Amino acid sequence: MARTGVFVCHCGTNIAGTVDIDQSVEASRGFPGVVHAGEYRYLCSEMGQDLIKNAIEEHNLDRVVVGTCSPRMHENTFRKAAAEAGLNPYMLEVANIREHCSWVHREMDEATPKAIALLRAAAAKVALNDPLDIPELDVEKRALIIGGGIAGIQAALDIAEAGYVVDIVEREPSIGGRMAQLEKTFPTLDCSACILTPKMVEAAQHPNVNLITYSEIDEVKGFVGQFDVKIRQKARSVDSVKCTGCGICWEKCPSKAPSEFEMGMAKRKAIYVPFPQAVPNVPVIDRDNCLYFKKGRCQICAKECPPEAIDFEQQDVVIERRYGAIIVATGFDQLDPSIYGEYGYGQHPDILTGLEFERLFNASGPTGGKVVRLSDGKPPRNVVFIQCIGSRDKARGMNYCSKICCMFTAKQAILLKEKVPDARSYVFYIDVRTAGKGYEEFQRRAAEEYDVAYLRGQVGKIFPEEDHLVVHGVDSLSGKIVEIKADMVVLAAASIARCDAPEVGRKVGINSDSYHFFNEAHPKLRPVETHTAGVFIAGACQAPKDIPDTVAQASAAAVKAIGLLSKEKLQGEACTAEVIQDECSGCLNCIAVCPYTAITEVEIEERHHGGTLKRTVAQVNPSLCQGCGSCTATCRSGSINLKGFTNEQILAEVDAICL
Amino acid sequence: MAEKSLKEAEKIREIVGQDLLGGRIGLLLGWEKGHYWWQSRPLFAKNEADLEKLTWDSFCVINLSRYLLEELKEHGKVGVLVKGCDARAFNRLLQDNMVARDRVVLYGLPCPGMLDYGRLNEEAGGALISISESNGSVTLKTGTGEKSVERDQVLMKKCAECVYPDPVVYDQLLLSPQGKKEGVERFKSVEDLEELTPDERFAYWEGELSRCLRCYACRQVCPFCSCRECFVEQDNPRWQGRAYQPGENFMFHLVRAYHGTGRCIDCGECERACPVDIPLQELNRKLIKDINQLYGDYEAGVDAEADPPLLTYRPDDPAAFSEK
Repeated sequence: MARTGVFVCHCGTNIAGTVDIDQSVEASRGFPGVVHAGEYRYLCSEMGQDLIKNAIEEHNLDRVVVGTCSPRMHENTFRKAAAEAGLNPYMLEVANIREHCSWVHREMDEATPKAIALLRAAAAKVALNDPLDIPELDVEKRALIIGGGIAGIQAALDIAEAGYVVDIVEREPSIGGRMAQLEKTFPTLDCSACILTPKMVEAAQHPNVNLITYSEIDEVKGFVGQFDVKIRQKARSVDSVKCTGCGICWEKCPSKAPSEFEMGMAKRKAIYVPFPQAVPNVPVIDRDNCLYFKKGRCQICAKECPPEAIDFEQQDVVIERRYGAIIVATGFDQLDPSIYGEYGYGQHPDILTGLEFERLFNASGPTGGKVVRLSDGKPPRNVVFIQCIGSRDKARGMNYCSKICCMFTAKQAILLKEKVPDARSYVFYIDVRTAGKGYEEFQRRAAEEYDVAYLRGQVGKIFPEEDHLVVHGVDSLSGKIVEIKADMVVLAAASIARCDAPEVGRKVGINSDSYHFFNEAHPKLRPVETHTAGVFIAGACQAPKDIPDTVAQASAAAVKAIGLLSKEKLQGEACTAEVIQDECSGCLNCIAVCPYTAITEVEIEERHHGGTLKRTVAQVNPSLCQGCGSCTATCRSGSINLKGFTNEQILAEVDAICL
Repeated sequence: MAEKSLKEAEKIREIVGQDLLGGRIGLLLGWEKGHYWWQSRPLFAKNEADLEKLTWDSFCVINLSRYLLEELKEHGKVGVLVKGCDARAFNRLLQDNMVARDRVVLYGLPCPGMLDYGRLNEEAGGALISISESNGSVTLKTGTGEKSVERDQVLMKKCAECVYPDPVVYDQLLLSPQGKKEGVERFKSVEDLEELTPDERFAYWEGELSRCLRCYACRQVCPFCSCRECFVEQDNPRWQGRAYQPGENFMFHLVRAYHGTGRCIDCGECERACPVDIPLQELNRKLIKDINQLYGDYEAGVDAEADPPLLTYRPDDPAAFSEK
């Protein structure tokens, strides 16, 4: 017979305000198996825990019910207390009489009977509890970083410096990400490449960092400490070992295609590196545009390549590797402003997005660093910047603020003035948002020292007239209609989640918000963790952010990963599923629904009419099982039980409440 | 007995006889005449004498595939005559891992639909002595004379509403195919029930299910009920009481129907076997209809390779709870 102790917590007035504690304790004394009941003001306090421990000894209790807050809060606290008093920690049940009861009721005469019912249910369940063992799991001392932008690079370097091997998987032929596309960085105006490329090189040279570029994640299985990942390394058509990066191939290649890196404003060759400082400096053949792959002839690159590194036969390779931790740092996309017909984006070469305009400043960009109009190659006089294109727009765009646009616009206006001294900038804005160290000062400098005209208001229409663009807007501070003859228009298009973010999230097993930015586990207290243990997020895949924030978050994610990898063993899940093989009919539907591939089929022998009969049944591997319960819900004959939540225990709870 | 079906039976007997007597199969599952002329019951043929009893007529309604569950324990290789519904039942068992494909030989019999003795009697107006068939009509002989009716009028309900009269899986097709039936309105009664208010619907089912004797004939004939121990009979935990009373009857039939979600092949054997005429197929078809609406058209049992919707995840699956 069970010897159960019930302990009811006041939680100050959180519970005691709406639940009659004395009545609950009194009622608990009458539950089957209960030999002791008590109460305390704060059970989670040391005094409260001691009360439980002492009662376990004094009354020789073999199981415990605590009526407290949600088990998400203090289940571990009480399990540890029970364990310290010599009980198996799983001989304790939490009746959630705060979140499920006192907080959602106003009247004591309603809340008290409900609290008693919840306590009765927990006492009925705990009577059927069995001691459970917590398995210990190995940790693969290797981290995976998905995305080789500044976030991924920073996280990789931090983890590598802590002494762990880390792989960066990057989709593009080179690491570097968005930051590599930038000319200067606010608010210090240091050259983006000058501060990024040393980190790229450091990552490439670090003995603990492996770059797996031109590759994507095919599949992620397993769980914290033991993620089994399939990485698809796309066929580069170039032997990375032989290639010296001399560049003869892309010089000689006769086929051209729009450069992704230059936002389509310049051409690259069919065999190419995305930008001069690419790491690794090994080209790829874009098979869709290569003459040989399209028409079966050419092969000039192969003929010209001194080390004979071109390999047209190369195939995609799937790398299968185990990781202890994963950091997702997949970055962001820029909204396509052509959804706003009034701005005419895409219909005129002098209407650009912020990122496109940025490339015009770059010495290796489409204009060789000259800020000129793409229509006629002349330097612009009047440039109109429009903020919040798709940001802060409930009707047609995103509700959120993209955070970086006010600052990069101020930066571009300053850079413009430096390159084209007689140029004049106009900025249409809703609000100027410059929270950040040195940011406000920077923006003020643009307005005051660089003669940038800030107009609070919106633009209604842009249309070409003769050799310029006419911008129709409103200056809401003066209330006047403004008409500007602009040579160029720059649209600060919203930062949005990568279009394939939901797919990446699904593969890795993390969820995202309604804009497809990945969700952190807690917006304040767990900003780089996700709800999937062992998976962390960093950078603009979580929300729009600037470089300092991205780097800070990347280092934070790295620390979390390092903390995980530094453990000798992880505590596994004690509540795992178990197949009752006598009853299992072997339909194996459980295998189909198990997200952890923890169930396999096994052949057993049974006696049948004096002989033996072989048949197939399911079997759970407890070290892989995470206790999600999908299999138990799928099994029609109830032949799988989840330890700690067995069918008998659940039914006992239901009966205790309903009967 | 129609001339045609006698000829067909002869042909079947000849072909399966070669396999059974030649040792390719150890047992043949077929039909033989039962106690009454309007009953054909399962035949478990092991030798030539057994084979003489083999029958193929308009009363071979019983689904034979389910008998494989027991017979495969005794015999290395079993032959089965399969109509459209028997074949789909076989696929059900195959998908549930209950039978090994290489231990079963399927003889396909495209099925014209089986006749319903109750309807025949009704048409005859009583004292039906025998029937004869020719060209889609049935002649009913009574003590007082003869009457001819359209075959379609006296089909079993499940056969009248059958979409796949031809076997969807077989090793050898013994007769010529009937073709897929188009324009069968099998969800009509479900749609009618959906029109009712929840209270009216509850009252309807309370009435129907109150007749249930809990004989479990529906479960015993069902190709999707292959659990070793049914939840109804489990003791620990005891999911439901043994008494036959409305609450317990609801529990049994609803849980059983849910267990068939995405799995029921709509053979209608449950309803046919029910001694108190509970319209059980309405429960199953409601779930078939819902599954089709939620996850796209899926016909359980038609293709053993097709992914069952409740055992697969697709990114575009509806997620009613998480969508805003």
